[in-house]
Amino acid sequence: MLELIEAALQRPNFIAFVVLFLWGFFIMVTHSNLVKKLIGMYLVQTSILLLLVTIGVKQDATVPILQGSDAVLSTADQMTPADYTNPLPHVLALTAIVVQVATLGVSLALVTAIYRKYGSLDEDEILQRIE
Amino acid sequence: MSYHLPVILFLLPFATAICMPMVGSRRRRWCRPMALTAVFAMCVAAVINLWIVVEHGETRYAFGGWPISTSLPDHPLGIEWVNDGLASVMLVAVSFLAWLCLFYGGPLTPQSLGAREALYYTLILMLISGLTGIVLAGDIFNVFVFLEVSALSAYALVGIPGGRALIVAFRYLILGTLGASFYLLGVVFLYATTGTLNIADLGQQIADKPELMTSKAVIGGTTFMFIGFGIKMALFPLHGWLPGAYTLAPDSISPLLAALMTKVALYAWVRIMFWALGARAEIGQVHVLALLGGFGAVAAVVGALLALIQEDLKRMFAYGGISHVGLILIGVSQGNQTGFAGSMFYLINDAVMQAGLFFVAGAAIHQHGARTVEDLSRLRLSPWMIGAITVLAMSMIGIPPTGGFFGKWNIILGAIEAGNYSAVAAVVVATLLTMAWFQRLFVRIFSDMQESPGAAGAEMHPSLRLSVGIPAAAVIVLGLCSDPIIRFFRETAAAAGL
Repeated sequence: MLELIEAALQRPNFIAFVVLFLWGFFIMVTHSNLVKKLIGMYLVQTSILLLLVTIGVKQDATVPILQGSDAVLSTADQMTPADYTNPLPHVLALTAIVVQVATLGVSLALVTAIYRKYGSLDEDEILQRIE
Repeated sequence: MSYHLPVILFLLPFATAICMPMVGSRRRRWCRPMALTAVFAMCVAAVINLWIVVEHGETRYAFGGWPISTSLPDHPLGIEWVNDGLASVMLVAVSFLAWLCLFYGGPLTPQSLGAREALYYTLILMLISGLTGIVLAGDIFNVFVFLEVSALSAYALVGIPGGRALIVAFRYLILGTLGASFYLLGVVFLYATTGTLNIADLGQQIADKPELMTSKAVIGGTTFMFIGFGIKMALFPLHGWLPGAYTLAPDSISPLLAALMTKVALYAWVRIMFWALGARAEIGQVHVLALLGGFGAVAAVVGALLALIQEDLKRMFAYGGISHVGLILIGVSQGNQTGFAGSMFYLINDAVMQAGLFFVAGAAIHQHGARTVEDLSRLRLSPWMIGAITVLAMSMIGIPPTGGFFGKWNIILGAIEAGNYSAVAAVVVATLLTMAWFQRLFVRIFSDMQESPGAAGAEMHPSLRLSVGIPAAAVIVLGLCSDPIIRFFRETAAAAGL
């Protein structure tokens, strides 16, 4: 048990992401307000994106732009991968953010349409009005 | 040229979708012919592609010429699209069904659209191109992006009628996005452990280093991925979004969603399961396939049971679809070629059957205003609908010579081969329950023959007649040609490591 806690404490950022994820999930499930549900959804997605970005980071590494004189750069073998952070997770996160923005756009459009139709954002109230 | 065919296949609906608002804002009458032509061209390209794959074997498309080889010292840096036997058959099925759904949708296009008709066709074409992308993608992140492209279009399309449809569209959006998020989390876990996103490379790494499958990150990642796909394919306990969305979606849209969305998600899971994790994958001491079979059995039985108690026709068919997703999973998870081939054959049949059933349901609403099982006696006025629903029911239940029988037969044979008799029992029970809920329909249609079904309404639109007839004819043709198709799928099963 102690080992588990110790292992978890070595990566405090992961704990933050788990808290963020569960918090968002909790909001999504429990709140009846549609916009609050969206906020929960946004938190869930953001926690995953943050996790994605952090796994590319290395200690004492810099941005992935080749450094050194031109002679060094001409031979790719001489560069050490450990000097550079991994750019791929950032690119993936960027793509995922685009998806997230699109989702948020569609969902807000739906919420607006629901509000215009039923005059309420509360799910229970809307369901009552339907009946 | 033939090397680029998969990309052309994807670009046909995609490029048309982008052009549609430009053309459609001026000339609204051009929208529908444009969409039909683009998807028809896609059908032709898909057939040519299938022929090339059968003749010359699979091709792998490397985007931008970046290396995709998984053999050392190269690393698969680029994005890869895999155009193998399974994918090419799926492409033919997806493009033909998409064309049929577009064709059928004509007379039923929601009247409230008005000037937004161009956007409506844009969304449909986006949905189709997203599904094409999922089928071809050889890279787990690509699958995520295309899942979202198709799902976002689907959310908007479900919400078109307004009113209650908006509520179910919102619910679909929340659950669908949650599914996609879970899937993305799984992708992150797998990438963090293996450093690759390419499905073939993942498969190779897991085969080379079996200890990967005991790593907590891979186990967690696989589980999250499965939960994500479970929501997308409406596997029983995660199916909450499906019945409402398919019932309240416009009648011209629900066949497209019912036929393709869940099936393509299931296909994507099959691809990741067999090509990345490997057929022998175990989590802890549990065989992954055995677990899947269990989920499938529960979904098959409970889905059919829920279909039995529905009153609304479209909702009933939606639950029938949930039950059939379970059946396909049962076959896939038997771990032998017979079950796999039967399942894949059944998957295509199920797509056709679902499209056909929702065609009939939509036409019944359009023609006779028959929404519930109670109103079904009015269907007697339309012999085409009766004929189509009878043939489709035979296929759903599994009576030869329809395709449904041969699929189910091979699934059962596979389960017997694997000595998995509880799976056989689940298939049989699901079949009996399917028969029971169709029995309810037919009793309503044919009982009280004296009772007049009401005044004859307007003549059925010829394109509606044709589009309810084609899926019924297709399941019979699929049944009669089942032998070569199943043999073809056995070969793809061998490629999947079975």
